Amino acid sequence: MDGNLNMIGYGLAAIGPGVGIGLIFAAYISGVARQPEAQGRLQSIAILGFALAEALAIIGIALAFVL
Amino acid sequence: MTDHIVVAAAVENPLGFVPVEFALSLVTFGILFFLIWKFVAPRFEQTFAERTQAIEGGIAAAESKQAEADAKLAELEKQLGDARHEAARIREEAREQGARIVAEMRETAQAESSRIVEHGKAQIEAERQQAITSLRAEVGTLATGLAGRIVGESLEDEARQSRVVERFLTDLEAQNGTTTGSVN
Amino acid sequence: MTMKTGITMAAEGEGYVAPGPASFDFSEVPLFELGGLAVTKPMVQLVLGAVIVFAFFYAAFRRASIVPGRLQFAGEAAYGMVRNSIGRDIIGSKDFAKFVPYLVALFFFLLINNAFASIPAIQFPTFSRASMAYALAGLSWVIYNGVGIHKHGLIGYLKLQSVPSGVSPVMYPLLVPLEFFSNILVRPATLALRLFANMFAGHLLLILFSTGGLFLIEYGGIGYVAGPLAWVLAIAISFLELLVQFLQAYVFTLLNAMYISGALADEH
Repeated sequence: MDGNLNMIGYGLAAIGPGVGIGLIFAAYISGVARQPEAQGRLQSIAILGFALAEALAIIGIALAFVL
Repeated sequence: MTDHIVVAAAVENPLGFVPVEFALSLVTFGILFFLIWKFVAPRFEQTFAERTQAIEGGIAAAESKQAEADAKLAELEKQLGDARHEAARIREEAREQGARIVAEMRETAQAESSRIVEHGKAQIEAERQQAITSLRAEVGTLATGLAGRIVGESLEDEARQSRVVERFLTDLEAQNGTTTGSVN
Repeated sequence: MTMKTGITMAAEGEGYVAPGPASFDFSEVPLFELGGLAVTKPMVQLVLGAVIVFAFFYAAFRRASIVPGRLQFAGEAAYGMVRNSIGRDIIGSKDFAKFVPYLVALFFFLLINNAFASIPAIQFPTFSRASMAYALAGLSWVIYNGVGIHKHGLIGYLKLQSVPSGVSPVMYPLLVPLEFFSNILVRPATLALRLFANMFAGHLLLILFSTGGLFLIEYGGIGYVAGPLAWVLAIAISFLELLVQFLQAYVFTLLNAMYISGALADEH
């Protein structure tokens, strides 16, 4: 087995954004279930939140390769 | 870590910046964007606008046709109602007129018949009078002649003859007064 | 460390060479040379993708008519999806029209290039070359900032992007740098890296399961069971990848539209 410690670090770092993205879409789904007509508005908000949360994971992968 | 860096020099870092690829991507996308912007988007928007217009125009035309048809239908119904009304009026009038004509004709016929009856009566009366007059003269002559012959007495004398006849007739009339009245 | 040992082991003809960043490096195997410049497979794919997108739309709209044919209908559905559900819904019906060509070109360029990962005989996602993703993200950074500065002026735009509304000024020293960092600096980086990382990881996974399955079958023993299983998983992952390819193109375009819409917003 060989590998890079950076990748383990990245795996750990990805937990946070993973949970965050899950929470965002859970809230989005229950929001749409309650109020299907609000889907259009909720979708853009959810995607924006998803992008922000995923930014952390993406910074992680960048650092994993660069450091 | 030093080990890793040595390897990284051998194998390119996946996040590494490759100017050629960067420039190619930019240029390719730029050209694609230009072509889409120049040729595709205007055609699409134009088609879209035309279609919208066509559909809206079609709807407007259909609406005006519908309104026209509705107006025509209403007009026809109104005409039909008028015609029915008119027909009823005419029928009523005809009935009235017929009744009036029948009444008039009945009246005329009545008048005619009574006129004819009247005329007939008058004629009969006249003829009776004439008959009476001629009978009177004839009867007188005959009676006189007959009496002269029977009596043997000359009754040639005009004055006497006339007097005798008059007297006879008067007696006769007085005798048959009731009989004559019943004949009339 | 990783690759060095991997290569040595492969040279010795024993063990499994795990796929790594080297699988994405075509600089050693250019397809041909053009004016002293090595042209690699991803470069060719990039151009091919652009040609396909334009050819499709040009064919669809060449004889555009009010009653569409089959091809025109497909083109209109594709164009209309980006135009209406990304452009109009996000940017707003007031000024989305001038961004539609950009969004349409971007979405289908990304979609085709991502789909190359699953098209037989090509089977390589173009944007797993990070530099190509950098270019598109850089372009989008220039566009949304340019649009914002054009509308609000430089100072007004920076204020719009870095000063949050509805927060007491006490928090400004903390929030203003954060907002600036997040809106101006992080956005293009995440845009590029999200696309790159998804394509990269998906392709890596596919290589891993395919070559790993082959290795296991050749290895024999338990490999006769595990190898085919790995291939089944590879097939399942291929379908997941199809979804991811579409989703990444969609998200990239959607975020572009959102950034433009945010830059155009009067006050947020």
